[in-house]
Amino acid sequence: MDRRRVIQSLVGGSILMPGLLAQLLADDAGNKGASDDPLAPKPPHFPAKAKRVIFIFSNGGVSHMDTFDHKPELFQADGKKKGVGGGLSNQERVLLKPLWEFKPGGTCGTLVSDLFPHLRTCMDDICLIKSMKSDDNEHYQATLAIHTGSFFFSRPSIGSWISYGLGTVNNNLPSFVVLAKELPYAGTQVYANDFLPAYHQGVRVVPGVEPIPNLDRRTSRQDIQQLELEFAASFNQRHLADRSGEQELAARIRTFETAFKMQSEAKEVFDFSRESQDTLDLYGLKPGEASGFGWKCLVARRLAERGVRFIELIDGSSSNNWDQHGNMAEHADHAKVIDQPIAGLLKDLKQRGMLDDTLVVWTTEFGRTPGVDGDKGRGHHSACFSSWLAGAGVKPGVSYGATDEIGATVAENKVHVHDFHATILHLLGMDHTKLTYRHGGRDYRLTDVHGNVVKDILV
Amino acid sequence: MNVSPVLFNSDSPLSVHFMRSCKLVFSIGILTCLLGIALGDDNAVPAAVFVRGLNLNGPSIEIDGHVWQGSDSTGFQCNGKAFENTNVVLKPKTDAQREKMIRSSRWSSAVDVELTHLEPGNYRVFLYVWEDNASETFQILVNDQVVIDRFSSGTAGQWKRLGPWNAIATDGEIKISAKGGAANLSGIELWNAVGVIPDPFQVEFNRTPTDEQIAFFEAKIRPVLIEHCYECHSIAASDLGGGLLLDSHRGIVKGGDTSPSVVPRDAESSLIMTAVKYSKADLQMPPSGKLADHVIQDIKSWIEMGAPDPRIEDTVATMKAKKTIDWDKARDFWSLRPLVSPAVPEVNDSGWAMTNIDRFILAGMKQKSLEPSTDASREVWIRRATYDLTGLPPTPADIDAFVDDRDASAYAKVVDRLLASQEYGERWGRHWLDVVRYSDTAGDNSDFPIPQMIKYRDWVIDAVRDDMPYDQFVREQLAGDLLPSKSVEGAHRQLIATGYVAGARRFGSRVSDYPTHLTIEDTLDNVGRAFLATTINCARCHDHKFDPVATEDYYALYGIFNSTRYPWPGIELEQKQRDLVPLVSTSVAVQVNELRANEQKTLDAEVKELEKKKKELNQETKDEDKKSLDELIKKAREKAEDFARQPLPFEQAYAIVDAKTIANSPIHIKGDPNKLGEVAPRHFLTVLGGQTVSVTDATSGRLQLADWITDRNNPLTARVMVNRIWLHHFGRGIVPTPNDFGRQGKSPSHPELLDWLAFRFMESGWSTKAMHREIMLSRVYRTISIQSSIARETDPTNTCLSSFPRLRLDAESIRDTLLTLGGSLDPKRGEAHPFPPQSKWKFTQHNPFKAVYETNHRSVYLMTQRIQRHPFLAIFDGADPAASTPMRTVSTTPLQALYFLNDPFVHKQAAGFAERVICHSENRDERLQFAYRLALGRFPTSSELESSTRLLDSIGTALAGASPNAKEVESQAWQSLLRSLFRLNEFVYLD
Repeated sequence: MDRRRVIQSLVGGSILMPGLLAQLLADDAGNKGASDDPLAPKPPHFPAKAKRVIFIFSNGGVSHMDTFDHKPELFQADGKKKGVGGGLSNQERVLLKPLWEFKPGGTCGTLVSDLFPHLRTCMDDICLIKSMKSDDNEHYQATLAIHTGSFFFSRPSIGSWISYGLGTVNNNLPSFVVLAKELPYAGTQVYANDFLPAYHQGVRVVPGVEPIPNLDRRTSRQDIQQLELEFAASFNQRHLADRSGEQELAARIRTFETAFKMQSEAKEVFDFSRESQDTLDLYGLKPGEASGFGWKCLVARRLAERGVRFIELIDGSSSNNWDQHGNMAEHADHAKVIDQPIAGLLKDLKQRGMLDDTLVVWTTEFGRTPGVDGDKGRGHHSACFSSWLAGAGVKPGVSYGATDEIGATVAENKVHVHDFHATILHLLGMDHTKLTYRHGGRDYRLTDVHGNVVKDILV
Repeated sequence: MNVSPVLFNSDSPLSVHFMRSCKLVFSIGILTCLLGIALGDDNAVPAAVFVRGLNLNGPSIEIDGHVWQGSDSTGFQCNGKAFENTNVVLKPKTDAQREKMIRSSRWSSAVDVELTHLEPGNYRVFLYVWEDNASETFQILVNDQVVIDRFSSGTAGQWKRLGPWNAIATDGEIKISAKGGAANLSGIELWNAVGVIPDPFQVEFNRTPTDEQIAFFEAKIRPVLIEHCYECHSIAASDLGGGLLLDSHRGIVKGGDTSPSVVPRDAESSLIMTAVKYSKADLQMPPSGKLADHVIQDIKSWIEMGAPDPRIEDTVATMKAKKTIDWDKARDFWSLRPLVSPAVPEVNDSGWAMTNIDRFILAGMKQKSLEPSTDASREVWIRRATYDLTGLPPTPADIDAFVDDRDASAYAKVVDRLLASQEYGERWGRHWLDVVRYSDTAGDNSDFPIPQMIKYRDWVIDAVRDDMPYDQFVREQLAGDLLPSKSVEGAHRQLIATGYVAGARRFGSRVSDYPTHLTIEDTLDNVGRAFLATTINCARCHDHKFDPVATEDYYALYGIFNSTRYPWPGIELEQKQRDLVPLVSTSVAVQVNELRANEQKTLDAEVKELEKKKKELNQETKDEDKKSLDELIKKAREKAEDFARQPLPFEQAYAIVDAKTIANSPIHIKGDPNKLGEVAPRHFLTVLGGQTVSVTDATSGRLQLADWITDRNNPLTARVMVNRIWLHHFGRGIVPTPNDFGRQGKSPSHPELLDWLAFRFMESGWSTKAMHREIMLSRVYRTISIQSSIARETDPTNTCLSSFPRLRLDAESIRDTLLTLGGSLDPKRGEAHPFPPQSKWKFTQHNPFKAVYETNHRSVYLMTQRIQRHPFLAIFDGADPAASTPMRTVSTTPLQALYFLNDPFVHKQAAGFAERVICHSENRDERLQFAYRLALGRFPTSSELESSTRLLDSIGTALAGASPNAKEVESQAWQSLLRSLFRLNEFVYLD
């Protein structure tokens, strides 16, 4: 038995903490040469602090000036002064006053509105980017872009790229997991592997009885399934013996072993029975609660502990989200859903020391207009918006970039979606210009032909 | 007459291309017309004929020596409001007559000008527009075709002469429209279709500068240019910015990609001034920071002097010479070399080789000192061949018949039987549907369904089943609408074939700035890959970095598809289908449309009537009466709306026809459809011959394109297709990158064999079935799939094919086999997908169309969407419905294993299979033999019989305690065994 197997077998008996396991397996992988396993851990281009990503996507366009980008000028709106507004940022409209007060958070004093009272207490760990920029005022295009770097054509998702670039340390779980009750704009394309091999596709987890498709044993009893598998295994071994050296055949035999184990191990991820009441409280979870954003956040931590490389949490769906054209007051309902769970996740990761090597990303597809849309709402605005990063390799407790006095355009240190992606890859130890895949005669990149790493926010 | 030197010196970057193409097709006269530039003193150049000038608001007037008609002319109609402003200063300045014409215009946010009483034929149109206050953005259309999607009118006083656009006057009319923002249209200029139109705005540079002016340039201008501009705008620049050279007088005169950089003596209108003044957000130069005010003033003064410039060396010509593609050298690449029939190698073998293919393959093996493997058993061969041609397992009867057939033609008989089956069409049709990224939805933000798309799918299946000659197969898909046909049915089938082009991906949600250019890019991308294995779309923004495809080539082909009318599948903001092609006679279609229009009118009138009644209500009307009237109005509205959304009562094809306006496309600079450069005449890829669409031709040029593609002298088409055929037989192409025969692709492992096959293919009349026979009856197709240890050492990837490469079943074959074994396969052609009725379509990006339809038909009939992957196909590496899939990737993931372990479908088919097996016989061994033969195509060995029996017993024992029903226990045990067979490597791999 090799070292890798020994380590994995220890976990079966709960001798090792999952986090420790991930580390041991990663170390192990570092020593290994080329592997026939396409998901085997690969060394990054250069040493990096971040080993994995938790990517939180709030769908629909979160208003920057109502959340993280304080614009005193807007609070002075007198119902006469005009600025960019309307549904697609294409009209002159009167400026709309934000509904929520801003207060400083943490010792760094970064201003956050009353929409996020819990997150405000985490600002010392967060690097806020107030100068994000996208290129399209449609949800679909902007959502596709923040996930794939492409506004129109389907391309591999950032999670797939990272899985492809780094592999994964836990063979019993997918490398890229998407926690999504419903789909966002652009549908399954946001977590699709596209032209990358299928190993790198995001596996969608749907809160409910069977979070991963076909995870539940369909045979009435486990011993029956075991008998079936033993029969197939011996048959396959004989088949392989006549065709020795066929890696593909051997690899397929292994997938059945993994699948068998996933039935129990992957299910274990969703079992919170061993979590303390304090932990559940941190996420705002009631005992037995198996849905909601708190559930997603705690599952995210548990997946991160088990070495999953990229975990995406989808907040909202294409039909119910932050898209408040008519009435900004509804932002409060959406903020309430995620505020405490995300703050809980950050605190939990920190107290477990996991924030040191986990990168947490929060973003939306675009911001909203300073001018009014509809009665009391705001329109789509890709010219600027706010996102934040926290954890491994990122400067904590800082704000980066700025918009103009009403939040209509980026005034300094623009961070385009491509720059954002380049920076995330950099934090994982990858040069975005070197993470390429040859497809149809061209070397493709997550950042296409663009992207600059935002060096100023790196530790 | 020798015009070559003239052409060589001409300004046009197209000249190099035309020099060559003129040898091929053109008479010099037409050639020079096409260039659209004055060629100095060469009086052989015919001048264009001025047809009509129209001052849209004002009297008759003389401009550029031509008499223009005034607004009292009877030769046009215009619905815009009359408008005049004499105060704003025009930019740029112009002569008095023209100024008068421009200042008085007709405006509206939807203005149409209809020119009437024209001789039917082709024309070129110019349009004068101007802006009197704040910039407006609008769309400009000629004969209802968008020619400029988002035109910005600029600041107050700016005017432009737009065009020329090609237009056909059908019924003696041409329509010019602007919609969106408020557009001021001042005048229209009409020219005939050929000849050189003189440029009325020849600006005069100062070519006789005084000594002071030279001194001014040397002291104030040259140092600034060197310090701030040369890095990006000189011959020495590593990446020339915007195509603009500022290091010579010629460079400044020529300007950049978008427009001239300097308008002499008019600093206001000079792009350089806009850039240095930092007044426009997207044009600020130099990028490092704004120049000092006095420097900007100097530049202004210099332009006002007429931009005197002593730098007479011509960097423009140098730059062009540097950038030109060396076409002869390009054609010396393996895939672009002419096809020459190769000699079949003589190989010294002991009778192994049975066919010429074998001789080529054996010669390759000999080079590596390899020996071919032994023959596979007949059971192995027939399983291989049956899956290969039909995607289904052979039946025990098929196997027996073949194994017992001692006839010399036993193998050939099997191949012929399989080739004659409907299942062959389904399997190999699917291979083509992969290449053309077939989908049942459009791919826009709401992913609108296309219920008619299956007609194209079925056309492909039938064409493949009937072995339609490949050249015809290509022609019908690209231009079926333009091909003659002997029967109405035949014409309809050809129309349906153009579903290939119609099925290009759609994008976005809005109508106002609909990204047509992306749909055409998707078309060109697929045309390039599917037929020519060339990545044409890489040239959309710049010349191809690796292959000989110029940006000009891209837009030459773009013009062909931009002159094509694509059907409208519906998008979020315009949800009704339109522009599909009726599959009934025109007269029926017209009649039906009239009837519908009348019915619609009646329904709309009912609504109006009721609304009128409501207005007449007074205060005394009872609430309940008001209510019931409201109810009536609501119902009437719904009825009218519902009727409007009803699909037409006759069959339609999701197909294409030529557009109303046939025009060459301007180059989109850096791929930006809002930055238009020079017009690229429609022609084929230069490297493949560059044949052009005749200027007198009134069609899009698609038929010509199809002919150029299927020309026997085209070095790519046959090579590309035989490589695809080979690929599916052996799991790997002779060229391993079937969609890319360029420098980024891989070169062929057996180049002579590839050429030999390509020749055979054309000789056989482009018969795909002939190729199947050629390949499948070879010895190499008959070898076992086990590599010798020597071969594993020297040829680990089995490029030499010393043994048959083991293949894994693709997604469709797996599902179809499970359905077959489970006894639930419905072998008939799948029916129409159960989409919701069109009258209920309200799809948006918020609630996009999203569905998975279960079916027991073969998997080729599954409904597949562009945006949402089909869950089963996503797990098993199904084709990408959004981009061409030349070959399936083969991944091996735990999710696939979980599918085989637990998916209800697998369990259901195992249950059906168990029932069949139990019914087959009372005898256990016979049942096992039956099951093994169906699932694995062979009898079980004695030890397999034993272990299978053991499994049945163990499960029987385990379950006996739990269930008193012996029959149920027996069934459960068999299901367990059969599920286990489904999971075997032997089940999903073909030896």
